[in-house]
Order: sequence, then structure tokens, then C-alpha cells
Amino acid sequence: MIALTRRRVAGVLFTLLLVLLLVGFAALIVGPSALTPSDVVGALRGAEPGGAVADIVLRVRLPRVQLGMLVGASLAIAGVLFQALLRNPLADPFVLGVSGGAALGAILVLSLGASVGLGYAAVPPAAFAGSLCATVLLYVAAGFRGRVSATHLLLTGVVFNAFASAAIVFLASLAGLMEGARIFMWLIGSLSASRADMAGWVALFLGIGLACAIPLARSLNLLTLGEESAKQLGVEVERHRRILLVATSLMVGAAVSVSGLIGFVGLIIPHLLRLLLGSDHRLLIPAAGFAGAAFLVVCDTVARTLLLGRELPVGAVTAVVGGPLFLYLLRRHQRRAFAQ
Amino acid sequence: MRFLHPSLHPCFLLGLALAAFGLAGSDPALAQAGAGSNAGAGEPLVAVRVVSLNPSLTEMLIAMDAVSVLVGVDDYSAQEQPEVRSLPRVGGLFNPSLEGVVALEPELVVMVPGAQQRDLADRLRRLGITVLELSNIRIEDLLNSIEILGNRVGRADAARKLVARIRRAWRAVEKATAPYPRVRSVLVLDRDPLFIVGRGSFLDEMLRAAGGENVAAVFSDPYPRAAIEWLIAAAPQVILDATDDPEDPLRYWSRWPSLPAVVDRRAIAISPVVLRPGPYLDRSLRSLAEALHGPGVLAAIDGGREPSVAP
Repeated sequence: MIALTRRRVAGVLFTLLLVLLLVGFAALIVGPSALTPSDVVGALRGAEPGGAVADIVLRVRLPRVQLGMLVGASLAIAGVLFQALLRNPLADPFVLGVSGGAALGAILVLSLGASVGLGYAAVPPAAFAGSLCATVLLYVAAGFRGRVSATHLLLTGVVFNAFASAAIVFLASLAGLMEGARIFMWLIGSLSASRADMAGWVALFLGIGLACAIPLARSLNLLTLGEESAKQLGVEVERHRRILLVATSLMVGAAVSVSGLIGFVGLIIPHLLRLLLGSDHRLLIPAAGFAGAAFLVVCDTVARTLLLGRELPVGAVTAVVGGPLFLYLLRRHQRRAFAQ
Repeated sequence: MRFLHPSLHPCFLLGLALAAFGLAGSDPALAQAGAGSNAGAGEPLVAVRVVSLNPSLTEMLIAMDAVSVLVGVDDYSAQEQPEVRSLPRVGGLFNPSLEGVVALEPELVVMVPGAQQRDLADRLRRLGITVLELSNIRIEDLLNSIEILGNRVGRADAARKLVARIRRAWRAVEKATAPYPRVRSVLVLDRDPLFIVGRGSFLDEMLRAAGGENVAAVFSDPYPRAAIEWLIAAAPQVILDATDDPEDPLRYWSRWPSLPAVVDRRAIAISPVVLRPGPYLDRSLRSLAEALHGPGVLAAIDGGREPSVAP
């Protein structure tokens, strides 16, 4: 493991922040309608506030870029935490059914909420409740005598995912034709306009999640060495694990509630960063935040630009970008294992 | 991990839902106006046992007073049409029950051709049941569907009357709106994600007939998913918002104040009933013309049909 100095942390994070800002600015320029960098700068400075350029830059692209950053950061950090907690490189909010739980919570509100007076604003808390239920269920079903086996956890996640998926299909078929179609549309994931109103929720949940995770980064490092070693080194394994699972549920719930199901971010970004930066979580957690944010903004920019005037679901882009990249990483990983 | 089976791709689903039915929704005023037209009075009904798998075809049969031929309907017909609510149901668009249809011993099954039900149609045919697939994309498809249905159930006259009424309204609306300048407009089916009426559907044709210029005609498919950014650049003068979203259209579209339709306060709510590919296209046309040109155009439309006496 490369030694972690204050200087190195600052250097890496500053570089990633710079990349993120550049990506963000580029995403404001690129899109179906051709804008120049000076158009964008002008709009940001408040030139012609009622014009179409201002609408496109400030009220279409900027909210999406912001939301993409928040969701990308949440998913990537959740991936880092899950993989460390379970010591399993395939652990991901989607594999574990936590995203599925969040989606189920959100869709319960979307399909039945109106009849009990719950509006769209109730979706993020419901998604969090869903992801937390999934996490608690994982814990109860897979854990025995306070110990959690990674295999059990993963299998429980797979089963829960199947359950959530079936429940969502059931809710969708109960709803009318359009409502059913909308539920499926909602699931596939998008960072489109009206959901940008919810960015505050994601920021709040991400902030709470980070506040829980960063102080425990050192415990996570020890946890990845193995439960027994961590205990011997003085880590309160169960307590820290619980805190981190709740933090992760918060972030996943927030991300899913505004963007539906976007895959691969929580799998790809942590792997990529571990290869580049090593696996010290004090650096990995914030770095995953910046990198995940930049990655999702790039994918969303592709999604809204590729077919002029039309929109692709961003989840399809992350899958197309993420799938091959993941296979490449896996091959490289295997080769290295052979070389050793 | 992928969560959904690829065939359940939501874009595809919503597009299909729109293509197959138009938006489900009910407008009591229009529904009442449609009831009791008793178009088929006097004609002997051919006693054929029919199962309808599409609400717009069900609505056509009801409009030609042939509801008694129906022995079963799909779930969406039952949701939309009170006349058939008591009939046996055979599932929805995505989950039609082959067994349910067969058990009703139909002599004729009517449906709209679509990927989800192609297999069902084939299997029904293999079981010796006659299946009639009636397209509902273009206006001529719809008018043909009405006449074909009418001929099959002994309501040819009634069907011809319905078609004639629609054609008459079509000419009257075209004539009445001709003096008005074309209005650059867009017909919105769903806000987020944004689905609109592109080129080549009966809704596109009706929008043109009602004096609109469909800015979304640049899209070659009938119900494309568009980017909001595209809409801002297209700058429609009128946004016809046929969603069932409770938020006031002007308030919703004011998120993008540069839209000319927002500046001129012409983001207008349209009843989702207008989108139905059914037998009341004449009323839908009037609604569209009124939304585009104001209530003044209605007098011109009615005047074209029966010349009014000068005061």
C-alpha cells in the first residue's frame, strides 16, 4: 500500500476536483443545441436572463449537472463502503438489493401515495425507508449471533432484489396503463428536469452519509483485513458496521429516489480508484465522491447528446460504458493474480 | 446488475402504451356527450361473440350501439368504459390471458397490432379463432377500423355515420381554421420524461387539420421521447398539455420562461380524452382548434356545417 501523506491526499483530491469542475463546465457547453463557451459564461453571469440560452444553461443543463454530481458521488461512495464492509469486490447497492428496496419504497409512494395524501416530496424519505428496510433485512436474515457472513449477505441481497422486482411489477400491473408505464420509466433512471427540485434531499443524505463514513475510514481499512484482525486492533466491528450500513442506505435511498436505478457507478468507480490510488479508505471515500460525480455527469451528457433532441436513459449509458470497463478491470486483475 | 428484463424497456413500454391507446383518462363531459348517441338503432345486429382487447376498439363498438356483441374485454376497456364494466376481463396490454379469451368462446377477437400481443394473435389463430388486427396509428386506419368493425357486427350504417361525422368535422375544422395563421405548437403526452406527438400519427394529422404546425414533426416516430432542451430551442407558440398531471400547465412550463408559450401564457391544458384513437375524433378536433385559436373558432366550425341565420 502506498503511504498516505497529507500532501498526497490533498494532491489527489485537488486533481479530481479540477477534473470534476472541467467536466461540469464541458457538460454545460455540450448538448443537443449548439452553444459556445462564451454563451455559457454569459448565461452564468446573468446575461439575457429571460432568453433561451439562459433557460438551457441555467434551467436545463445546470440542474442536471448538479444532480448528476450528487447522485454519482452517492452511488460511488456507497459502492466503496459496501465492498469494504462485505470484503467482496462484487458488492454493490444493486447486487445487495438495497437499490431495489429504495425503488420499492419510492414506487409504493408513487403508485399508492396519492390516495393517502402523499406527494412527490415523500418519495426520498420513502426510498430511504426502503433501502434501510432492505439493509436491516439483510442484516437480520444473513446475520447470526451478531456476525454477518458475506456470502449469506450477498445471497440474501439477490433474493431480496428478486422480491423487490416482483413487488414493483405487481404494483405496476395494479396501476392503470399509463401509471404502469410511468413506473417502469421512473425505474430506468434519468436526471431530467423536474427531479432536480429534489437535489436538496440528495445533498442532505449524502452529507449525513459522509459525516458518518469519513470518521470511520480507518476502521474500514482494518475491517478489510478481516473481522478478527479488526477486533484485535480495537475496532468495534458491529457498531461501526451498523453505522456504515445506515449511512450507505441513506446515500442509496437519496440517489434512487431522484434518479431511479442507475447501475455500475458503484461498481466501476471504486475498482478504478483502488487500482489507481490503492485501498486506503481515508483517500478512497472522498476520491470516489469526486470521480463518481464526474463519471455520471459524462454519462448523462452522452445520454442527452447522442441522439439529437432525444433522450437516452442514463442507466443505459452507464451500463454500456461500465460493462466493458469492468470486464477489462477484471481481466487485468486476473493477470496480475497470475503474475504473482 | 440489470433490474428489468430487456423487453420491459420503459421507453418502449410508454411509447407502446401511447401508440396502443392514447392516454387513459376520463372526461365526464365528453363521455356523457358520447353516451346515448344510439347510432345503430334499427339495424339488425349480427350475433357474433366478440372479445375486444383494446379500449379504443371497445369504444368504437359502444358508439355504434353494438355493445351487446361483446362477451369480454381487456382491463383497460373496463377501466375506461362504464358500459362494459360488468363483462368478463381477459387481462391488460402486457398480460392478456390466452385461456381467459378462449374460455369466452369468441368468434372474433379484435385488437391493435403490437409487439406485445403478436404472439397472442398467432396462438388464437392456431386455435381456430378469428383475429382482427386493426391499426390505430393514422387517421385513415381509424376510420377504416370503424367501418370494418361495423361491417362485422351488422352495424355498417352506424359505422358509416360515425365516419361521415368525423370527415365532416374534419373538413369544417380545416375550413374554419384556414384563415388563421398556422400556430407553431407541440402536443405533450407526458411531462417528465417528455413524450410528445411526433410525425405520422392521427394526433399529428389532427393538430395540422386544426391549424397547428407541429414543431415536433422533425421526429419521424409518432410518439418520441424528446429532450426539454430541444423544446426550448424549438420555441413553440402554444404548448398543448394533455397530461393528467395536477400541476397547472402554465405553472409547470414556467420553469423555462423563455418558451414563447409561457411568455404569451399559452400553455394550455387539453383533456387526455382528446388523445383517444376512438370514435369521437370530431370532438377532439374541435377541442384542438379551440385551444389553438380561441373559442371564436368554434362558431366558424359550426357555421361551416349548418349556415347560421343572420340576426
